[in-house]
Amino acid sequence: MTTLERLRTILVRDYKLAPEALALEAPLESLGIDSLGAAELLFNVEDEFGITLPPEPVQLPTIGDVVDYIDRLIAAKGGDGVPAPSAVEPAARDS
Amino acid sequence: MTRVAVSGIGVVSPLGDTLAAVYEQAVAGRSGVHRLETAFSHRLVAPLAATARFDGTAHFEPPKLRMLDRVSQFALVCAHQAVDAAADPLSGLDRSRAGVFVGTGMAGTLTSDDGYQTLYGEASDRIKPYTVLMGMHNAPAGWIGIEHALRGPNLTYSTACSSSAVAIGEAWRRVAAGELDLALAGGSEAPLSFGSLKAWEALHTLAAIDAADPSASCKPFSKDRSGMVLGEGAAMLVLEPWDRAVARGVRPLGEVIGYGLATDAAHITRPSVEGQAAALQAALESAGLSVDAVDAINAHGTGTQANDPVETAAIKTVFGKRAQTIPVSATKAVHGHLLGAAGALECVLSLLAMQHGVALPTMHRALPDPACDLDCVPNVARRGLDIRTMLSSSFAFGGTNAVLALRRGD
Repeated sequence: MTTLERLRTILVRDYKLAPEALALEAPLESLGIDSLGAAELLFNVEDEFGITLPPEPVQLPTIGDVVDYIDRLIAAKGGDGVPAPSAVEPAARDS
Repeated sequence: MTRVAVSGIGVVSPLGDTLAAVYEQAVAGRSGVHRLETAFSHRLVAPLAATARFDGTAHFEPPKLRMLDRVSQFALVCAHQAVDAAADPLSGLDRSRAGVFVGTGMAGTLTSDDGYQTLYGEASDRIKPYTVLMGMHNAPAGWIGIEHALRGPNLTYSTACSSSAVAIGEAWRRVAAGELDLALAGGSEAPLSFGSLKAWEALHTLAAIDAADPSASCKPFSKDRSGMVLGEGAAMLVLEPWDRAVARGVRPLGEVIGYGLATDAAHITRPSVEGQAAALQAALESAGLSVDAVDAINAHGTGTQANDPVETAAIKTVFGKRAQTIPVSATKAVHGHLLGAAGALECVLSLLAMQHGVALPTMHRALPDPACDLDCVPNVARRGLDIRTMLSSSFAFGGTNAVLALRRGD
């Protein structure tokens, strides 16, 4: 199952969203998930994917952004050389 | 002083979620108390509760529902009901002159309990991101203010069992003084978590199960009373200037005419005759009523050993000889003790009792108690009465005693 399919499973199961509305380009806001809701969604993502999110806040406007974020974290966890998001976006962090 | 109408009411309770249902159950003395069937019931000494038939999924979209503790769900649904019933009370309203006043004793205790289970029970280091905003005491009021765009005072009162009587009273003061053109006021409580039930159990305030009829376990003013039964639910009122409601074509359901507040300042749990009497007296003075002008009382009437004789003495202190003839209803026998929402629900029941000309029964009073020798309308409603004015009493741990003075809507 792809990352998008697994994410869709969460959104359909927990948020009762229609699967056809869950395209990569769909904004989370349009699905009733604002920035606060995204934080809660990512909490469930951690469980589903067995990953731990870095503490730095991230902006993930669309479903595609969430999918990319998860994929990068999985890759980082797997040690294949792809840096975790927190490492590639140092400018976003407070000094 | 501006006359303050109750122009709309919303209710979610163990007696139902419409005014008609709540009244029918209360007047018939049909109890909403039952054996509690949950995963933790076997760990309770007396698994009893008065639950509301309520399914949040019927009222909220899933993403929003995930942000709402049951206590906020109740409050929001009741606020919507009340606004709908008041026939467009927000139209033409200066929203900065409209407020929200909510009483709750335990607020998001279900959320807190869930978090503790995760942290301590499951030894997990991860807790749900919504825990703070679901559990905070002012979540119900905050959500109501957001949904109805009410930008005046948004206040939460937590004075244990008098919370929502205080909320209604404080809202009444502001509308009566001309400071506000509308208030959504009431209370909400969803206290049936395992931790909450065990805490109340440890305090030895909860009723033993009546083996013959569990629904009759709460027995206010009866010699065999053994305690209260926790209940859940909410009630919200639209309060606004009488003339404003009438000008909109609304026939008010009743009127708040006064509010008495007095504190025991004595013991953290033990009720005080002096404190309760002072609150009753303050309500009379606030409304400009003589004792003869009060037609009936909705008692605090918890069914605990401690409260009922003290309340009897307090009523006698204030009403003198009149105390022997005034009907005193203890409706917690059928809807349980809704803690921070109790005062609001009992205010609603008082308004309904006046509207229908009925003294509601105090159910399950099998054995008269000489220490509780009021006319408590035992077991059968008294109909065909002309009840124009009532007091509704709410007394609390911590000592905050609140009494609302109410008038029939005519």
